[in-house]
Amino acid sequence: METSEAQTSRADRIDMQTTMSKSPSSPGVKLNPAESFSKMRRIIAEDPDWYLNIVPCLSDLCLQSIVSNFEENPMFEVLTPTQKDFVHERLSTSLDLQVTANMVSDGVYWKRCCEQRWDICDLSHYGNSWKRMFFERHMEKIIELFIPDVTQTKTVLDMIPLCKNYVKRLDISQLLPPIKEPQNEEDECGSEFSSDNEYDEPSMDHFDFNILLSKLTNLEELHLMYRVKQCGMNFEWKMFEMTDRDCESLAKALKSCETLKLLRIRESHLEDEKCRLLVKYLLDHPSLRELDFSHNLIGDRGARAVGKLLTRSKLEILNMCDNNIRGPGAKAIAHALCKNSTLVSLNLRLNRLRDEGGEALGKALLDNNTLLHLHLGANEVTGPTAIALSKVLFQNNTLRSINLSCNNLGVLGGKALEEAMSRNTSVTECDIRLTEVDEQSVSYINQAVWNNQSLEQKKHGRESKTK
Amino acid sequence: MEEHDEDPGEASVTSVLSENQEAESGVSTQEVKEDPKKEEVNEEIKEEKDKESEKLIVPQRLINLQRDLSALVTNIQTAADAKESTRRTELEETRRLRLEWLENDARSSKEKFEEISKGWSIDNQKLIAQELQEVLNNQQKLCSALVEDKKKLISDLQQELKVADDRYVKDLRKLAEELDLMIERMEGQINTLTRAYREEVVQMKRVHQQETELMFTKDMTKWEQSRKELLDKELENVMEWKKKVEEYEEKIHNLSLETANKCSSIDMELNARFQDAEKKGQHTKATNLITQLKRSKTDHEANIHKMKMTMMQSRFTSVRKRLKKQMEMLASKNEQLKKRDQDMTEEYKHNIQQFERLKKKTKHIVAAEARKFEEMWLMTEAELKQLVERALVIDSLIYKENFGLSWERPHMAFMEISGPIQPQKQQAVSQSFQTGQALQRKVDASVGPDTKSTDVEMYKDGTEVQSESGAEVEEGELSMEALKKVKELLCDESGFLMEDKLWKLLAPLEKDEQTIVKLCSLLCSLGFERDDMPRLAHFLIKYKHQQAEDVSVESGDFSDKAEEEETNCTPHQTSEPLDPNHVLPALNSFIEQLRSRKSPALQHASFQPVEVRDSSKDEEYWESMGNVISEDKIKLWDDAEISMKDYLEVLTEIAVLVPETQSLEQQNAELRMLLQQSLTSSVDTELQVP
Repeated sequence: METSEAQTSRADRIDMQTTMSKSPSSPGVKLNPAESFSKMRRIIAEDPDWYLNIVPCLSDLCLQSIVSNFEENPMFEVLTPTQKDFVHERLSTSLDLQVTANMVSDGVYWKRCCEQRWDICDLSHYGNSWKRMFFERHMEKIIELFIPDVTQTKTVLDMIPLCKNYVKRLDISQLLPPIKEPQNEEDECGSEFSSDNEYDEPSMDHFDFNILLSKLTNLEELHLMYRVKQCGMNFEWKMFEMTDRDCESLAKALKSCETLKLLRIRESHLEDEKCRLLVKYLLDHPSLRELDFSHNLIGDRGARAVGKLLTRSKLEILNMCDNNIRGPGAKAIAHALCKNSTLVSLNLRLNRLRDEGGEALGKALLDNNTLLHLHLGANEVTGPTAIALSKVLFQNNTLRSINLSCNNLGVLGGKALEEAMSRNTSVTECDIRLTEVDEQSVSYINQAVWNNQSLEQKKHGRESKTK
Repeated sequence: MEEHDEDPGEASVTSVLSENQEAESGVSTQEVKEDPKKEEVNEEIKEEKDKESEKLIVPQRLINLQRDLSALVTNIQTAADAKESTRRTELEETRRLRLEWLENDARSSKEKFEEISKGWSIDNQKLIAQELQEVLNNQQKLCSALVEDKKKLISDLQQELKVADDRYVKDLRKLAEELDLMIERMEGQINTLTRAYREEVVQMKRVHQQETELMFTKDMTKWEQSRKELLDKELENVMEWKKKVEEYEEKIHNLSLETANKCSSIDMELNARFQDAEKKGQHTKATNLITQLKRSKTDHEANIHKMKMTMMQSRFTSVRKRLKKQMEMLASKNEQLKKRDQDMTEEYKHNIQQFERLKKKTKHIVAAEARKFEEMWLMTEAELKQLVERALVIDSLIYKENFGLSWERPHMAFMEISGPIQPQKQQAVSQSFQTGQALQRKVDASVGPDTKSTDVEMYKDGTEVQSESGAEVEEGELSMEALKKVKELLCDESGFLMEDKLWKLLAPLEKDEQTIVKLCSLLCSLGFERDDMPRLAHFLIKYKHQQAEDVSVESGDFSDKAEEEETNCTPHQTSEPLDPNHVLPALNSFIEQLRSRKSPALQHASFQPVEVRDSSKDEEYWESMGNVISEDKIKLWDDAEISMKDYLEVLTEIAVLVPETQSLEQQNAELRMLLQQSLTSSVDTELQVP
């Protein structure tokens, strides 16, 4: 109480001072009416803007002083909601985050901060919280512009206590490598690759997430892309890779971050070894639900590791599209699917499963009753896989959507699917474009799918009605 | 990855790299391309789902639209996927071919290398220079061939790389175009879908409205119908009720009528019985009453008698009490009256004393005035005489000095007389004066009692009584009756002297009282005093006798005669009353007599009053004094004054001229002096000059 009173009194004093300094002509005269009347009149006449209406309320002045002295004397929690709004509207956006971060609640102030910094602000992506948006994007920017060995880690560490309560997702679209010395670049131009590699390796490590992830206690989503945006003519393959040491540090950091639900590492030249390393640390992660390794270079060994992860975690969504998984890897994943009872969605688009993997998956799905979405597009699968999957469609009534586009299924495969779809009632999406299936069977399958859709709608309607 | 695995190390790394690059870049671009696609597809799906969930019954048209449009968009993606997969297969194929080719090349080059190495071993056997040269040349050729082969291979690979680069660029462009196309299509889809949804919404609304209206109308009609039915039913019920009510009312009416009839018949019977019973009862009652009355009469009479007795007794006592009270009242009143009487008499004495005092005062004042008058008279007379003397002196002076005539002193009798003129006929004057005084008194008296008469009534009664008793005591001879008669006579005859007001006031009084009051007022008006009353009575009686004797006596002698006769004629008086016709002249004569008796008393009491003087002589006397110098003399005086004034003027002129003449004389004298001097001096000068 004492402190608050002291603060208010001090604020009042400051208020008086500020008003005096701001408008010494008009209100100053009012303060000492003992002065000669003529003088007073003259002054008022000289100030044509002076009106009684314009003279602000004392409360407004106080709030104004609070706003103007926020850095030295931050006061926010004491205020009433309307006063908070007032402060929100007027607080300078250039204030130090140290002051505002944990003091100013979510509201118009952060909206102003965001809109000042960025043109596009889609609030729906950030849980309708301007503050969250501000801090997430702020943090992302810091990390994206972090240059190892040049930028001090202190800048990041300082931010952690300020933003750890508000950051739920980090969407990092680039990670800068350390700057090379100009001599090296000159050398590089005409020198051999081997020596270059050796020389570069120790210095190509990116930002170390170990210092960050364990401290962000609210982090739920982590999107990473090891690449450099707008590199221009300085293009180098090394810029688009993560190093082994990066991988190891990231894996440890991920393990330490126990709130993480979604991990997405895309377009980062993720190879088998790195994948295995990451998976090794992600085994038995308590909260991980979604894993996205799409657009990488993961092969069979990596796929095998992922299969192992499927058995030892509660993954619900797995996205491995545009990798290099072949038959053996697919077999491993299929084997894992047999035992798994959490996975809902599996995406293996643009891999090289071939019939070997396809048939294995088909067999596995005979035992699985949880998978709802399966994507096997552009996997060079042919008739046998189609037949295996049609068997699945016969039995399994959980699968909702299946995508076999861009595979040479052939007429026979199409017929098998047609038969299967005549019995199935659950599949509401079946993509068999560019699969060289007979048009009749395609139309039949589509018809069956539409029937299922309408059936499902009716079911939904009933459910909603019963609800 | 395969490339890496299969990379034979010896083979040119650049080519491998280029391939790798190609593949990677392709992948990367595809990624870029695919991401938005996927998202969009997801969004679409979401949208669809949302909409499906929103509207449970989506019309087939919309579903078809959604499917077709989404298929249109996703077609591109699948096509791209297919292209990518074919490209990859191609890539793999070319890679395989290239690898085979490289293997072949490596094998052939190995063979050649072996040849060369064999060649080197041959070299060691032959030592001839020429042979050696040949062999060397051969080796060199082989080596160069090998090198050329390799170079060719490298150039081929480089060319392939270039082709691949071009293709990559082309692919990129194509992808970009596809992306644009996809975006366009998506936008179109969104537009069409939104339009379709809007239309749908509008339709839905319309349908809903129609439905609701239909429902409303249906419900309304139903409602109306049911309401009408209800109303009808209610009305019917009400009508039934009314009918029932009417029926019941009639029944009740009938019943009531019947019961009323019955009741009336019963009543009649009962009444008849009752009347019989009453008759009997009345008979018995009457007999009883008669006996009772008889008994009560006797009782009542006895009671009344008793009551009367008691009443009478009580009345007696009350009357006695009243009597006593009245007596007491009387006594107290008498006492009060006595007290009052005493007070009044005292007051009267006091007033009389005051009056006498006032009389004395007036006499004193009159004497003083007379003395003053005399002194004034003497003073003014002396002054006047002096003035006359002066006038006469002046006159004599004028006569002697101005006209030179002898002046004779005119005869002036008044000059010898001093003091006020004493009139000769004193008596006559006094008499006339006396009558004036009497008249004045009369007037005073007639005005005075007007107001006082009522107040003085009681007093007068008292005085009357006293005077009567006084008269009795004094004279003794005059009986009460005679006095009374005289009084009545006076009252009756001299009623005209009384005022109307008094008459009115006296009307309610008794005759005796009336006469007394009348007498009082009369006497007052005539100016009699209380002592005069018995005298008047005597006089009146005597007057009668005198009339009878026919003797006329003068007023002056009458008094003496009356006095004489008073003593003589008293015995005759009682019997006869005065003739009323002679009362007035008798009264007149009595009054005159009374006045004559009073006036000498007055003359004796006072000094000779000055007011009696004759002022007409005074005027003459004063005028004679004023006329000492006659009017002729005054004219003469005036002329003399005028001539004197002229003379004075001449004298004043002379007086003015006198100093002038004196100064002229002086001048003359001086001039003469000067002449003489000049005469003398002129000789001297003549003498001197020469």
